[in-house]
Amino acid sequence: MEIIEKIKNQFNDNLTEIQKICLDKLQEIPLPNPKSEQWRLSNRSKFSNFLNYSVNEKNPKFDTPFPNTSQGTIRLVIGDNCQINLIEENYSIKQLSEDKLVKYIKEQISCFEQNENWSDLLNLSLNSTKNTLGLKINGSEIPPIEIFSHASSNSLNAKTLIIFLEKNCDIDLLQVNLGKENSSLSQSTFFCLEENSSVNHGVVSYGENKSNLLNSLNVIQQNNSEYNLGSLHFKFNYARFEIRIKQSAGNAKTNIKGMQITKKDEQISTFTKIDFNGPNGFLDQINKSLADDKSHAIFEGSIIVPKIAQKTDASQLSRNLLLSNLAQIDTKPQLEIIADDVKCKHGATISQLNEEELFYMRTRGITLTEASKLQLSSYFQEIISFIPISKDRWDLLDKLLKEN
Amino acid sequence: MQSTMREADPILEVENLSASTDNLPILKGVSLTVYPGEIHAIMGRNGCGKSTLSKIIAGHPSYNITNGDIKFLGENINSLEPEERAQSGIFLGFQYPIEIPGVSNLEFLRVSTNARRKFLNKEELDTFDFEELVKEKLEIVKMDHAFLSRSVNQGFSGGEKKRNEILQMALLEPKIAILDETDSGLDIDALRIVASGIKKISNAQTGIILITHYQRLLDEIKPNYVHVMSDGQIIKTGESDLALELEEKGYEWTDNFIKET
Repeated sequence: MEIIEKIKNQFNDNLTEIQKICLDKLQEIPLPNPKSEQWRLSNRSKFSNFLNYSVNEKNPKFDTPFPNTSQGTIRLVIGDNCQINLIEENYSIKQLSEDKLVKYIKEQISCFEQNENWSDLLNLSLNSTKNTLGLKINGSEIPPIEIFSHASSNSLNAKTLIIFLEKNCDIDLLQVNLGKENSSLSQSTFFCLEENSSVNHGVVSYGENKSNLLNSLNVIQQNNSEYNLGSLHFKFNYARFEIRIKQSAGNAKTNIKGMQITKKDEQISTFTKIDFNGPNGFLDQINKSLADDKSHAIFEGSIIVPKIAQKTDASQLSRNLLLSNLAQIDTKPQLEIIADDVKCKHGATISQLNEEELFYMRTRGITLTEASKLQLSSYFQEIISFIPISKDRWDLLDKLLKEN
Repeated sequence: MQSTMREADPILEVENLSASTDNLPILKGVSLTVYPGEIHAIMGRNGCGKSTLSKIIAGHPSYNITNGDIKFLGENINSLEPEERAQSGIFLGFQYPIEIPGVSNLEFLRVSTNARRKFLNKEELDTFDFEELVKEKLEIVKMDHAFLSRSVNQGFSGGEKKRNEILQMALLEPKIAILDETDSGLDIDALRIVASGIKKISNAQTGIILITHYQRLLDEIKPNYVHVMSDGQIIKTGESDLALELEEKGYEWTDNFIKET
């Protein structure tokens, strides 16, 4: 209940309609059920720490090691509206009006499952419209877009992103979530892909010392849409990445390649729920975890194939590398299949660095440390290469990963 | 039994070497000396310890030396790490070269070459200079430049993998190369290319140990000595005609041998 009071105090009862709705729902379930599948492995003390920071709607000066905008790339910072007008002039990108935002969010909330969407309820309770960005995108000549969400130290910040991709639209979108020292960032993203649209979506989240993240991604795919997600989460004391994708009428394609890297005593988890609500759906998903020191990485994935989703072709793999005897990895890919004419597979592996690969490299004069780095970078490669990121950003990301 | 003049100091001396893995003895007192310019062939049934011997010389961490010494250029290397052995000039050509997805072959070759060059106090090569060097060496094994942009050995055919091994040997310019069944999985043409590559790289200052099951590689590269291994020991040593005799009579013929001391 403490968080609810904190939000009410922060906004002095000047709550928006959405905030009121969400707070009412949170009253019913003030904290996620720790016995539920989605939350049972979540570190409670770390989660309490996430909620401990004071709610803050103010944004600090935007500061990122990512270089300034590449030529031909649109950069947007949630909470900083100054660039939106410029974009509207040049490209087919429109900012959603507040009325439309409210209408859409209300529709979404009506479909929420209390425990499953707890992170979204919290996010929308914390956020007046100040830190919400809604975009409607159409056309096929859209340059790559980068959208940043950043936290501020000693604060709990919430950022919300809503994107409508209209028919036949095709975009590359990189979303970057930046943690700050001693901070909590709540990020909720709602993505709607209309017929024949396609997106290469990258989500890169990296934090600093003692930063926390609750990152929720909700995607609705209409007929013949293609959603490609490449994600990377690292350097957070505590982070949860929740992905919910619904192929609303089947006949859509989803590709997901995600990775989380944990060190020290960090805990990073990924939860995915892919819901096929029509026939001929396709999914190819791989999730990788890399856990070192005393850290804990978690993956739980579920694929729902109801009777209507005949001819679904879905694959979900979880591959994990355990780099220390004290690190922990939990993984649970699962299928829920009712339809009888489907092709679904899932699997999980947990291993350590490949000794034979290391020996091979060492017999060529490469030191054990260098060989391990090369092997890890090859492990990253499959995921990183799937993130739509331009060359100048890639060098930086490579550096950040090596530092980590 | 010497078919070459052994005036220089030996490159490699394996002295009464015994080794085990998981407390299982694999080598049981192997002795072998290689002088500059010599080519030795080691033959024997599967599981007799040939590949293990090569891995132990290269420093594989899964094996423990329980007795004996390995000396390289007069220095005991029993406790050296695999990378230190490689940098100082020991090369192991793998029977099954390892695939390393995501690591570009070009970068792998460059890092390896520079590690060796650093040991030799030679200037390390930047990408451009290395490209020049590798282009020249590719000729030796008739490999296409396109192989360099692929991941190490990933998707390579058996023959391409073996040629990539010889390319690495050419770049690293080792003092001694131990080639573990480099001929396995090669068709006749590929075998000739690989054999010709090995001959071009070897010289009067280097030593070569060929581990093989078949005479066909030895038709291309004539060894000075042939050793037959059985149950972790060298049970017979002879000159190149020993391999021909083995080919004719099979390994059963060697079962009656008494270990030569």
